[in-house]
Amino acid sequence: MSQGGTPLEELRELESQAMDAVRSARSERDLEGVRIDFLGRKDGRLSRILKRLGEFPPEERPRVGAEANRVKTLLREALEARSAGFAQEGPVQSEDLTLPGRERWIGGVHPVTRVIDELVAIFRGLGFTLARGPEAETEWYNFEALNTPLDHPAADEQDTLYLKGGHLLRSHTSPVQIRVMQAYKPPIRILAPGMVYRRDSYDATHTPAFAQLEGLVVDEGISFVDLKATLGEFARRYWGPGTQIRFRPSFFPFTEPSAEVDVKRIHTDAEGRERESDWIEIMGAGMVDPAVFEACGLDPERYTGFAFGMGPGRIGLLKYGIPDLRLFFENDVRFLRQFART
Amino acid sequence: MNVSLRWLREIAPDVADRPEVLADRLAALGFPVEELHSLGSGLDDIVVARVEAVRPHPNADRLRLCEVDAGTGAGTVQVVCGADNVAAGGRYPFAPVGATLPGGMRIGKARLRGEVSEGMLCSESELGLGPGHAGLLELPEGLAPGRRFVEALALDDVRMSVEVTSNRPDLLSQVGIARELSPGGHAALRLPDFPGVEPGGDPRIEAIDRAAGSERAEGDGITVRIEDPDLCARYLALAVRGVQVGPSPEWLQARLRAVGARPINNVVDATNYVLLELGQPLHAFDLAKVREETVVVRRARDGESIRTLDGVHRRLTPGMLAICDPSGPMAVAGVMGGEDSEVSEQTSDVLLECALFTPGPIRATRKELGLSTDASYRFERGVDPEGMVSALLRAAALILATAGGTVGGAIVDANPAPFTRTQVRLRRDRVGKVLGIPFTLEEISDLLLPLGLQVEVDEAAIDGEGGTLEVEVPGFRSRDLTREVDLIEEVARRHGFDRFPETLGAFRPGTVPDHPLFHLEAELRSELAAWGAFEAQTPAFAPEGEGDVELLNPISAEEGFLRARLLPGLVRRLEYNLARGNRNVRLFEIGTVFAARGEGELPTEETRLAAVLHGEREPPHWTGSTGAIDLWDLKGLMERLARRLPEGAQVIPVPQGSDDGLGVGELDPGRCFRILSGEGELVGAGGRLRDGAADLPPWADEVFLIEIILPAESASEGGIVYAPIPSQPGVDRDLALLVPDTIPVGDVLSVVGRSGGPELRDVRVFDVYREPGGEEKARSVAVRMHFRSPDRTLTDREVEGAVKSVLNTLQEELGVGVRGSQG
Repeated sequence: MSQGGTPLEELRELESQAMDAVRSARSERDLEGVRIDFLGRKDGRLSRILKRLGEFPPEERPRVGAEANRVKTLLREALEARSAGFAQEGPVQSEDLTLPGRERWIGGVHPVTRVIDELVAIFRGLGFTLARGPEAETEWYNFEALNTPLDHPAADEQDTLYLKGGHLLRSHTSPVQIRVMQAYKPPIRILAPGMVYRRDSYDATHTPAFAQLEGLVVDEGISFVDLKATLGEFARRYWGPGTQIRFRPSFFPFTEPSAEVDVKRIHTDAEGRERESDWIEIMGAGMVDPAVFEACGLDPERYTGFAFGMGPGRIGLLKYGIPDLRLFFENDVRFLRQFART
Repeated sequence: MNVSLRWLREIAPDVADRPEVLADRLAALGFPVEELHSLGSGLDDIVVARVEAVRPHPNADRLRLCEVDAGTGAGTVQVVCGADNVAAGGRYPFAPVGATLPGGMRIGKARLRGEVSEGMLCSESELGLGPGHAGLLELPEGLAPGRRFVEALALDDVRMSVEVTSNRPDLLSQVGIARELSPGGHAALRLPDFPGVEPGGDPRIEAIDRAAGSERAEGDGITVRIEDPDLCARYLALAVRGVQVGPSPEWLQARLRAVGARPINNVVDATNYVLLELGQPLHAFDLAKVREETVVVRRARDGESIRTLDGVHRRLTPGMLAICDPSGPMAVAGVMGGEDSEVSEQTSDVLLECALFTPGPIRATRKELGLSTDASYRFERGVDPEGMVSALLRAAALILATAGGTVGGAIVDANPAPFTRTQVRLRRDRVGKVLGIPFTLEEISDLLLPLGLQVEVDEAAIDGEGGTLEVEVPGFRSRDLTREVDLIEEVARRHGFDRFPETLGAFRPGTVPDHPLFHLEAELRSELAAWGAFEAQTPAFAPEGEGDVELLNPISAEEGFLRARLLPGLVRRLEYNLARGNRNVRLFEIGTVFAARGEGELPTEETRLAAVLHGEREPPHWTGSTGAIDLWDLKGLMERLARRLPEGAQVIPVPQGSDDGLGVGELDPGRCFRILSGEGELVGAGGRLRDGAADLPPWADEVFLIEIILPAESASEGGIVYAPIPSQPGVDRDLALLVPDTIPVGDVLSVVGRSGGPELRDVRVFDVYREPGGEEKARSVAVRMHFRSPDRTLTDREVEGAVKSVLNTLQEELGVGVRGSQG
């Protein structure tokens, strides 16, 4: 059973291990562990050797016993001395706590996702649910159902990417409006985040693919006042209570009246003064055109509604001070890391 | 659309506000002003000067010495000039000593190659007036030397660049913008008189008759025939004979320049003037080039072609409308005239055209020819069908005033589809319903009248609906005001969007449930972010070979297809990062992939998740490194992600020699896995990137990839059910098994799991090693089994029995035994 050599050799080995253990102990708790391990009455390593005393030749027994007592005394003294040392040093001195801690990699969502999540969270509070639709679409969903005849210049304004065979990549998330209105009865309050595509070359303010966030509200009695109120509420929740919002008339074939929506934010400058930003264009919006309801088989006399669309990427540029939309697609980890503080 | 403030105020004298205020008002009306440009800014020091004499410079071939009279009354000054076009007797803009040019340059007395120069004769570009050419800007005779240049050229004007939405062609004119801005509205507008013409108009214009017909009209020796009335609803022609083509008078040139147009000659300038003032595109033909004085409006025939005014030879296709004479096309209708029939210095008789073309086909032609002009821009949006005759007469009057000649006796008017005004009913109740606040009939009427709409209260309908207005829409709004809602928008716009309250009312919850994929995506994003990966986004475009859905009009050849998988794009982002020295790159993406379906069908779309992993497993720390990400990190992550998929998804190794099934060709065949759904369908793959499959720097570590198809419709909600926390202690038993290399550990584990009895709760591999010098072709696998009963403490005997059963089964089924024992 027993390995090692003679009992005396075993004791010497035990002595050196025990003294090492005392030296490397960093706390009273460590010392107590050492004491139990070596001197424990029932199962301590010294006791175990002494229990086997009977197995040894009688002439060796006294020497082993004496040696064991010596080791026991030595160890007790070492434990006490070390314990006294701890009491003097205090608990902190044993480690250099200025050394860096062990970290784990951080990860994070894309800045555009981050913005979408923030926007969605606000609209959720206003009763919106999340819908989605395909990115490859028919001309009907992307244009005609949205009251945009294909031979009208408005169909040109978003230069569309076509697929061979006549379909296209949606140039806005508005086709989701149509798909939702075909599938569900009002009241409808949805948001549809997703990628849209336009035939724009890559530059600081354009990429041929980008995220859009569409909103649609349809019910009886929805009015232009509801549109202004909802988007105003959103803007103040997102950019702060002092935010001003401005609606300028505009033209989108699928809404009438149509508006461009601008916000003016209040921020505090380096000297602690409150400053107003310029007016910043953040989205297009409007009352759903009756022709759109008709295309979806809804009665425009009964239902009214509003829709809006914004670019989370562009909002992200403003929010984080990012100078160039292309950074979103480069995916340099030194860029992505900056948005990972969660 | 460029607007000259001077021009605008001549049309609408009641527009009194400063340009900045006008810009704000236009923005509030829906037409933001992109730029306010003060035409003469920085030119206050410039005067008109006359060059009295020109002599060669004694020391420089390219320079000349000019005696310049700048109207100071103190004689001439000597100016050194390098322009080729300087001539004695000419008038030029002059910057005297002490003047500052728009660029900030200050003119001082200088000595050029030994000759004194006291001032500078200027070119267009030196004055910031345009690109100009090398020469000096030549000014008309008759301008007195010393006169302020800004005043002499009518540069005390402001150009407003107005953004006009595509539904408002009526605003592509000075008159249209004036109508929006004038407090008096449409009724307060007047067209300016031409300088040198009696106020009240030219009696010769008044005397012009009308020779009208349907598809065909004849008069004054001229024939007009419309063969395709679906593309041209009306065509007016008027001859002006005996004109003297030459430069326009300075006021006309100044007017055109003020809105950014380039003067050409008095006839062309007259048509451009009318286009810019009224928005009505006109064209002038050299009547001598119109064979038989006959104009035929017809679709181009196969093989016909034309050299357009820009000097380009263009083939016409049968869908395009052409303005022809009996021998062939003279102009691409509504887009651009032809060179052959162009008005030139030699022209004496002019044929003016004013036509109404159908917008859609003009747009198609313009796109096909890749040629957008001021005319096509307006035609494809729709011109005023009621303003044609007056536009034609105004152009004729302007030509008479600037180029002389006599006007023909009649307008030849082919009018196969006469225009009739639209009547639109507007219900007061509906206005309130859409806009959210009530308007009285009178308020509505007051908002619409200034737009030139005719409004009548329908007395008969007043009861019941809160009243109704009958609105008659004039020609210049006939394109965009056709329905009740169009008028409601005008009410809101003229009332002012900012004057509507922002009262948040109660709302009913919607019927549309959240699309479940958003929830799954969010979970996966947090899972991967917590694991330490960054979300990437890449456009869905791919080069040939990475997808089978082809774009018709891609941005570039590298982006000619839609991606069939996410990983290739993501691997390129890894390459990009490594090439920039970013060593630790853990990226994931959630995005759409596409696959072609049958003819006429939309492509199939799938939302997928992909990840690429490279670099240290953990951030470097002074206590030591844990090494680079390896296959087991990958497998663990795949298992973690699989747990987010609908129940039953599992990660299994890909058998040697078969592919991953997802077409992730980049994977190392010996080191990859599949994810199978609970139904056994392949839903994902992952593994080690095959050596050489990506462009990586030599220091790169191993790369690991994952791609997973997310369930299209519903993700399982996980069905979490509480299980009581164990009240009884469990017992661990370890086995050191000797497993031959031919037997997968996975098989061993499943045998253990299945044969350990109901109390075996968990089986875990905690060590795998080969004994040095031990038996070949086998590994020692240490397995820890955890036994527990929910209701009692297990006895040693029970546990021993279970272990024995495990060992027996292992031996029987796999021939696997405990290390050290004899098989």
